[in-house]
Amino acid sequence: MRGHASLLGAYIERDSMLHAAPLVAKFIPVAALSVLVLALNSAWATLAAAGLVSLAYLVGARLTVRELVQPLTRMWPLILILGAFQWFNAGPLTAFIVVGNIVVCVLAALLVTLTTESQRLLDGLVSLARPLRPLGADPDRLGLTVALMLRSIPYLVGAAEDSRDAARARGLERNVRALILPVFIGAVAYAHQTGEALAARGLMDAENDADAS
Amino acid sequence: MIQFDGAAVQAEHPAPRQILAPLHLSLVEKRISVIGANGSGKSTLLKLINSLVLPTSGRVLVDGLDTSARGSAVRRTVGFMFTDPLSQLVMPTGREDVELSLRRRYRNREERRAAGERVLDRFGLGPLADQSVYDLSGGERQLLALATVLACDPKILVADEPTTLLDLRNEGRVRSLFRGLGQQVVFTTHSLDFALEADRTLVVDSGRVVFDGAPADAVVAYRELSLHDTGAAGSL
Repeated sequence: MRGHASLLGAYIERDSMLHAAPLVAKFIPVAALSVLVLALNSAWATLAAAGLVSLAYLVGARLTVRELVQPLTRMWPLILILGAFQWFNAGPLTAFIVVGNIVVCVLAALLVTLTTESQRLLDGLVSLARPLRPLGADPDRLGLTVALMLRSIPYLVGAAEDSRDAARARGLERNVRALILPVFIGAVAYAHQTGEALAARGLMDAENDADAS
Repeated sequence: MIQFDGAAVQAEHPAPRQILAPLHLSLVEKRISVIGANGSGKSTLLKLINSLVLPTSGRVLVDGLDTSARGSAVRRTVGFMFTDPLSQLVMPTGREDVELSLRRRYRNREERRAAGERVLDRFGLGPLADQSVYDLSGGERQLLALATVLACDPKILVADEPTTLLDLRNEGRVRSLFRGLGQQVVFTTHSLDFALEADRTLVVDSGRVVFDGAPADAVVAYRELSLHDTGAAGSL
């Protein structure tokens, strides 16, 4: 799998306001912005949210324009297909709103992982899950599960790129099966491997577990 | 001490098949190598020690702990190293992966960071700590995988073909590191030179331990077995 893809959405070290902010102070505004922009469903709201997210990247997190645009370079096939579908079915304005909202939500979510070290992210998720302990939830396991889920997204992006290259090398770039099937099989194998690796290190065992096999 | 008390593994799907015949072994030596052909059952034997695979009959005891009943405690005692380090490294960078291993021991983030730095420096991986694990060479990845396992300070290290994917120089580095470890080490290998560095060697064939003894004798027995198999295949 490609090395660059594995670091998509991974923490970028900077000395910025957003890097220093606690996880909850980033998570709540990102969630609120995403809900709001989807609920308003207007081109002006999409534009305003895009401006706000760009400002957060460039000023709040002191990231570069390249780092802001990078995720979009991998999303373009999805943007293109979705945009074209919406354009033909509902017109250009709807296409702009739907695609724009998805881009805004993805970029906003990535801002959290780009500005939060994985261990801080994990600690934050564990803290967020702690109130669920009386319901039988294990905050450590829950936090680790969510963190691994986030980390698997770049892996899948890389696997999709590899699959596209492999299909192209065999002249099968238009064959949907050749594009999707390897990604699907790779995802299952990745999940299995990750599970075995975590089990081997005892990371999914409950703390002070005496007989958790 | 690792004890196999009639431990056997049987697969039920797609058809009932014996993966490992009942084993009766006590492993007390510091370095134990396991050799055998691909698919002979070596990896299954190792996974029994870490409770990644549970015996379908009999039992395996690690320091007196039954792997079937005390899986968590066993996993805290036994570190497991996979053949392909990418199967083992679950985080995007080495630093994050080592710190993941240390989460249980260090709840404080700063202490965890400092401990992670020490582990990375011990293996000479400090300068590579923030690189994608996919951008590291095979040897660097294998060293990192070893670092993530040893970060947990296990009493026993189990390694499944740790040098198979490495070039000669990196194989030498890993072997040299293994020689310096204080833990009891059980490893499988296709490198007979590496196998000879152990105190005791098991030869596994078709799910059975067919030889158990001094490494030099084990290598001779394995060579004879392989020659016999090659001759049988050639006469077909």
